[in-house]
Amino acid sequence: MSSIPVEPIEAYGLSKKNRPKALFAKIGIVGCGNKGQSIALMASRNGVEVVFIELTEEKVEKAMHEMDETLSQQIDHWGMTQSEKRSILSRIRGSIDYADLAGADMVIDAILSKRREYAVEIRKSVFKRIEEHVEPHAIIATNSTTTVITELSSELEHKDRCVSLHFSTTDAESDVVEVARGLNTSDEAYARVLKFAKLVKRVAIPVEESPGLVSVRMIVVLINEACDTLMEGVATMEDIDLTLRQGLSQSLGPFELADKLGIDRITQWMENLYNEFGDIKYKANPIIKKLVRSGANGRKSGKGFYHYDASGKRLQPNLKQFGKRWN
Amino acid sequence: MNILVLNCGSSSIKYQLFDMREETVLAKGIVEKIGLKGSFLLNERHDGDKVRLEGEVLDAQAAIEYVLGVLLSPNHGSLRSMDQIQAVGHRVVHGGEAFQASVLIDQRVMADIERCIELAPLHNPANLKGIEAIASMIPKVPQVAVFDTAFHQSMPPRAYMYATPYSLYKKYGIRRYGFHGTSHRYVSEKAAEFLGRPLESLKLITAHLGNGASMSAIQNGKSVDTSMGLTPVEGLVMGTRSGDLDLGVLTFLMDKEELSLQSANSIINKHSGMLGISGISSDMREIEAAADQDNRRARLALDVYAYRARKYIGSYIAAMNGLDALVFTGGVGENSRTIRRLICQEMDYLGLEMDTERNQANPKPGDVATPASRARILIMPTNEELVIARDTLAIVGAADA
Repeated sequence: MSSIPVEPIEAYGLSKKNRPKALFAKIGIVGCGNKGQSIALMASRNGVEVVFIELTEEKVEKAMHEMDETLSQQIDHWGMTQSEKRSILSRIRGSIDYADLAGADMVIDAILSKRREYAVEIRKSVFKRIEEHVEPHAIIATNSTTTVITELSSELEHKDRCVSLHFSTTDAESDVVEVARGLNTSDEAYARVLKFAKLVKRVAIPVEESPGLVSVRMIVVLINEACDTLMEGVATMEDIDLTLRQGLSQSLGPFELADKLGIDRITQWMENLYNEFGDIKYKANPIIKKLVRSGANGRKSGKGFYHYDASGKRLQPNLKQFGKRWN
Repeated sequence: MNILVLNCGSSSIKYQLFDMREETVLAKGIVEKIGLKGSFLLNERHDGDKVRLEGEVLDAQAAIEYVLGVLLSPNHGSLRSMDQIQAVGHRVVHGGEAFQASVLIDQRVMADIERCIELAPLHNPANLKGIEAIASMIPKVPQVAVFDTAFHQSMPPRAYMYATPYSLYKKYGIRRYGFHGTSHRYVSEKAAEFLGRPLESLKLITAHLGNGASMSAIQNGKSVDTSMGLTPVEGLVMGTRSGDLDLGVLTFLMDKEELSLQSANSIINKHSGMLGISGISSDMREIEAAADQDNRRARLALDVYAYRARKYIGSYIAAMNGLDALVFTGGVGENSRTIRRLICQEMDYLGLEMDTERNQANPKPGDVATPASRARILIMPTNEELVIARDTLAIVGAADA
């Protein structure tokens, strides 16, 4: 190694005024399932250091392994190079100790919640634990769409720094994120989150605090309506999907989309929205309930509306056909 | 007059400070990993003093502030006060059809560069940030933009038009622009000087071979054709870029491999070229080393690389109806004896005969053609920063007068 002297760069700043600290040098993520992983990869890909919190060491390892796999798949699909993968993974660290969130500029709750009545309480306690370890300026956000941020932040000391930050659920390459502010969210915190969205190359869509925001509210109704159409025997599942795909320029039909999102998750959203709004249109269609009960939760479980092979390729339908094909 | 030359990329900034009286470099350096973890600034003064500054560098603004800071510092600096920087020259990647030459930057020029963002989404925004940062810190200092595309604006329509619907040319500016213009221009001038003949009387082919690579046909001092196109992916085989490719390949692959737009871009820009064929590296030195060890794919990569280059040389000789000199420049062009030899072999019909011993000696600058060769084969080191400094001096000097 050459012996070039190293000095701190701060001494060479021209203005003596305090430079603002890096807005997002490090972020934390609580819960590193699918959603948490995709947020971690997205942030790291854009140069942000990531610490994620999981419940056990095994889960930490599992998450790291899955992220490694995800990136390898992207390399196989030409979306990335080996060296990009190495640098992305080098910025991500897992932990089971909330204390490792110290120094994070933002922490995002991305835990999976099975039941609404517990979800709010669990998330509230996650928020409180996060607050114990981060600076007062750090943003605390949730990726949950159906719980409102005002409620989650209600017991925090600094409620003004909480926002809801919902990254697109279907596609890692999709570039939108819904950003909702609560009653207490400060303009400053909100502006910083918009900057974060820009940093990770996402278009921020400002939304009012409302369960389901825009994306979830639209999608659950579409999927429910698709199930109704199917049950009435109007058309086959494949043809309904085909109509949406080709006829209405969607990249996936409603059933394919449901399988990709995870049917258990969709049921969760539907229940939450039904509880919030009391509108029957959000009530999960019997087909959906039936699938969840039989463990057919979509692509991840190998079957949902359709069957899938190990690589996630769509096979034949999993349901008896209600409609008939005329050919 | 002291001129600061900046080459602002998306996460790094290269700079050189020139004293234009003798065209000496007072200091040069680079800021890397801007906005990322582990950012640093490396500065080297003309007397050999080196320093590495580590710490957080948030954005281009902060990076340039530290560049100015280190240039002014008592320990490692080259200047006593800020007024000693009389002008700043910027490399700007895409000038579209708006710029035929370097220009003094004003609001209108800024707006035009901004309009070209669509054509160079990775580069132009970073270039603009550098200009804005200087404007905010030393607002009175004149700034000049030197475009990668400007030199090639002299191409005739028959060379720059693609055979795509004319409406798309009007709508999006779909046409050949070409890049590395500053380098092609500089080495063509140096070649004329070296040959002791007026540039206006010469037919030259300049081959800028680096990690990116492009070739230019230069007639009477003007670029009449160049191998890069709307984007820098067209033309020669490069480190990781495919260069010329049947368009059908891309649509076929997008279908078969279910590629997203991003992956399609990445396949031709990051996974192809010498790396793609050899599977070894994008670095020519490593590929040559492997070929020496009889690695079959490394040899194939060198073959494809040289063959493509020879086809371009042939077509440019046809385009100009003659050739006075082939000029090699860029990291590979200036240093790889093997590549130059492979490119120039069996070109005697076209008037190029290489003296392999001279080629092996690698004179920089120098002529490596045999005395009998009808056209010369030159090696000319490029210096894009110097061109930017000179253009800046000329424009600012003219504005002052």
